[in-house]
Amino acid sequence: MAMKAMLIDAMRCIGCRGCQVACKTWNGRKAEKTEFFSGPGYQNPGDLSAETLTLITYNEVQVNGRFDWVFGKKQCMHCNTPACAAACPVGALKKLESGPVIYQKHRCIGCRYCMLACPFEIPRFEYDSANPYITKCTMCADRLETGGVPACSKVCPTGAIAFGDRDEMIREAQHRINQNPSGYYHEIYGLEEAGGTCVLHISNVPFDKLGHRTDVPKHAVNKDTEQAMEAIPIVMLGLAALLGGIYMLRTRTVHHESDAPRADG
Amino acid sequence: MSEHKSATGPGGRLLYLIAGLGIVIALWRFANGIGAVSNLNQGYPWGFWIGFDILAGIALAAGGFVVAALVHIFGGERYHPLVRPAIFTAFLGYLLFITGLLVDIGRPWTFWQMIIFWHHESPMFEVGWCVMMYTTILFLEFVPAVLEKYKKTVWLERWRTYSPWIAWALVVLFTIALIRTVAWVVAVGGVLLLFQILVHRGVIRRDPRVPTLLIIAGVLFSTMHQSSLGTVFTMVPHKLHPLWYSPILPVLFFTSAVMTGLAMVIVEATLSARYLRRPPESDLLSGIGRGLWWALIVYLGLRTLDLAVRGAAAEAFAVTPQSLAFWLEILVGVVIPLAMLVSRDSVSSDRGLFWASLLVVIGLVINRLNVAITGIHAATAERYVPHWMEIAVSAGIVSAGILVYRAVVRWLPVIEEHQHADRTASGRTGAHGRPAGGSQP
Repeated sequence: MAMKAMLIDAMRCIGCRGCQVACKTWNGRKAEKTEFFSGPGYQNPGDLSAETLTLITYNEVQVNGRFDWVFGKKQCMHCNTPACAAACPVGALKKLESGPVIYQKHRCIGCRYCMLACPFEIPRFEYDSANPYITKCTMCADRLETGGVPACSKVCPTGAIAFGDRDEMIREAQHRINQNPSGYYHEIYGLEEAGGTCVLHISNVPFDKLGHRTDVPKHAVNKDTEQAMEAIPIVMLGLAALLGGIYMLRTRTVHHESDAPRADG
Repeated sequence: MSEHKSATGPGGRLLYLIAGLGIVIALWRFANGIGAVSNLNQGYPWGFWIGFDILAGIALAAGGFVVAALVHIFGGERYHPLVRPAIFTAFLGYLLFITGLLVDIGRPWTFWQMIIFWHHESPMFEVGWCVMMYTTILFLEFVPAVLEKYKKTVWLERWRTYSPWIAWALVVLFTIALIRTVAWVVAVGGVLLLFQILVHRGVIRRDPRVPTLLIIAGVLFSTMHQSSLGTVFTMVPHKLHPLWYSPILPVLFFTSAVMTGLAMVIVEATLSARYLRRPPESDLLSGIGRGLWWALIVYLGLRTLDLAVRGAAAEAFAVTPQSLAFWLEILVGVVIPLAMLVSRDSVSSDRGLFWASLLVVIGLVINRLNVAITGIHAATAERYVPHWMEIAVSAGIVSAGILVYRAVVRWLPVIEEHQHADRTASGRTGAHGRPAGGSQP
């Protein structure tokens, strides 16, 4: 199965938040008591939480000299090389070949390293539970298995959340930008971020205006970690041989000189 | 010894109180979730517990493997009286650290799942395995003190026979879990197997006090553990401030752990001598102090070089909370102790040595808190400041540790009682002649 991706087009989003509702319904997440203005502008709830896996961000941005509402979508980016999956000690987070980064909750020990590692700061933790799990968007991997599309994509009334093969989605994004070069911002967020992701965003304004982090490295963030982990066997073997060797050589000399008291007292 | 009545002086009572409060808060956390007792949030999933209990706690326990290697591998025989207290401190430190971990991780009752769900790419997997492996090794290194106390000579003999093989099996298992390449497993396991066979055949001299393979395994696991805690943070180039983020974090964590291990040996030996009303091991400790001076030089050199090569040195001169925290850490933990230890006189003065070492320990704690808290920037939450209950839990753990330490040093032969007589005696054979096993010379 080719790697799937979502293409989220801020130009088509009308901010109805149908995707937020569909996401909660499909994933069985509870409703939250929220307050207005707990986040930037009119978005509600203020941020992703253990119960809210996707969020439409409301951003008042200057477009062509006048202020306008531009809506972004916050959710798991489903990285091609996910830091959360590399970080997880028990392999609870896992990248599927078909695109989604899934969470196998029965494995999770609750160490929260995935939250620290994620360059997009997506995974959430159930801080109020005595038996807490991590929660995050799974691209509705269970729906994809039966040939469906993610719940948010299915419900979107304006087609702002397209879903298909990643290559196809990249072509589609480029096509839309080319068709309307004065309207779109000429970049695809997610094409290279953190080594490329399976959620792609296009927009009429720069992505930081939609609440996306634009300082994310353009390579997989676990590059240095991989190098450090590759050194393990070399250090193990080197140290074992060194310590054993030193002990052997040292005790050999001592043996020849017998155990006579040394004169450094 | 008879002049000591009990641990419940006014100081003792305070320790019980703090430990008790810690237990109450920990119970509250298990009933109501981590959010009920901490300020940890969605942007800052790690805080004081990780920085203090785990990152700093493990580094402070480094004295165990540093002194064990110094004496049993490198042959610093005169330091033998320091081995057992250092190993006991390390063992106790690891047990306390595991207690802290149980509070911090969300579902601690599933911690054992690391044994069945292997993910060798994860630094946290390495950390978890090192914890389990090295705690077992520390138990094996410490258990003779208990066996001696109750004169279990048969068990001591069994310990002497089987503990190297258990150590070997643990190293091989660890290598399989972490490396997953047959050639490497065969190489690492083979080298140690060869060593043990040569010891058996009498080609390599058998250390009558403790199986050398046990010590080697301890050094291996410690080295991996100390460095892996640094590796954990190589995953966050986008979140950790450039004053601390470095691809060589594992090396820096290891070096600073060795340095702090030495400092802890001095601090702990001085304090326990005071507690047991004996004169401190001055000449041994000043020897350790000279080693500490060199370790500080190496660490300072590495830190400076690392900052220069990465082009992050300028960050230290910008006025930010991070740069202030950086200078605090470097001045308190490295520069001032270096200056204090520069002269021969100060190294051989008990007071100077103790205070310099204490500064190194404090500096290390600041460094680990900087990596875990001050240096981390997340966009999601405004900021993280530890809740008083988080600090109370850690304080409770430390207090419980001091209480256990006091009880154990008066119960078990951890700190050797006649060492002064030995050292003032004409020869150096004292350490040799009184093996840990209490048997053959």
